[in-house]
Amino acid sequence: MISVNALPSGIELAGYQVSLRPVEKADLNLLRNWRNQDEIRQHMVSQELISEEQQSAWYQKTTRDLTQRHFVIRYRNQSIGSANIRSLAPGCALTEASIIEPGLYIGDAKYRNNIVAFSPTLLLNDYCFYHLNCTKLVAKVMPENTAAINYNVKLGYKIINQDKLVEIELNKIDYEKSSRTLKSLLSRSPKT
Amino acid sequence: MSQIEKLISVFSTSLGIPEAAVTDDLQYNSLPEWDSTAHMVLISELENQFDIMLDTDDIIDMSSVRVAKQILGKHNITFE
Repeated sequence: MISVNALPSGIELAGYQVSLRPVEKADLNLLRNWRNQDEIRQHMVSQELISEEQQSAWYQKTTRDLTQRHFVIRYRNQSIGSANIRSLAPGCALTEASIIEPGLYIGDAKYRNNIVAFSPTLLLNDYCFYHLNCTKLVAKVMPENTAAINYNVKLGYKIINQDKLVEIELNKIDYEKSSRTLKSLLSRSPKT
Repeated sequence: MSQIEKLISVFSTSLGIPEAAVTDDLQYNSLPEWDSTAHMVLISELENQFDIMLDTDDIIDMSSVRVAKQILGKHNITFE
């Protein structure tokens, strides 16, 4: 079970030991540094380095945009990565969207090769399927990024097209089937 | 079977790797066999074989054989 809280700056999600809170101005330097790291950038469709000015313009635009939401991933009171969701239909608010494209990366190298990297995805997927009531999640992944393809296939995604990018999609039934065990491991009660 | 033999056997069976490959330095995602699916099998086998219940923090922290020993140590399972 995830929690969804409305904050003045947007929606905060919590569950599976992590939380996703709206990106704030104070996060921008950290996010830009992560995003410009070679290990992160090489997996992006747009691999250009992001300048402070570009990021500032992006932040101004996205904070008012109802078709997308951007989050900082928090684990054990630390920011460890970035996550986002966007509606695929042009101009369609996320609350009305039937198809949503999620994206995320783990910026803190310590947590990239860790099972907790699944937590923000489970949280986002639950939010999209059970709170926003979308019918399908889709994503495009670079063919070389086999780790991301394998990661998503384990969560129930199916490959629907392989060209310059690998197109994958996930419906609610496949997600529920594929994520059950992982969810049970990542949502056990802490020791008292 | 000693505790260390049991631990090596659990890792070897759960990950589908030879027992000789189970060293303290072996880490999650350091080889294709120790992926998230195998990690779930591993947790389940550790709990069954050592009769313990791990919490989510321990499941997340269990990123190597060395750390697994430390976590099992909290359940009074030692590997001297």
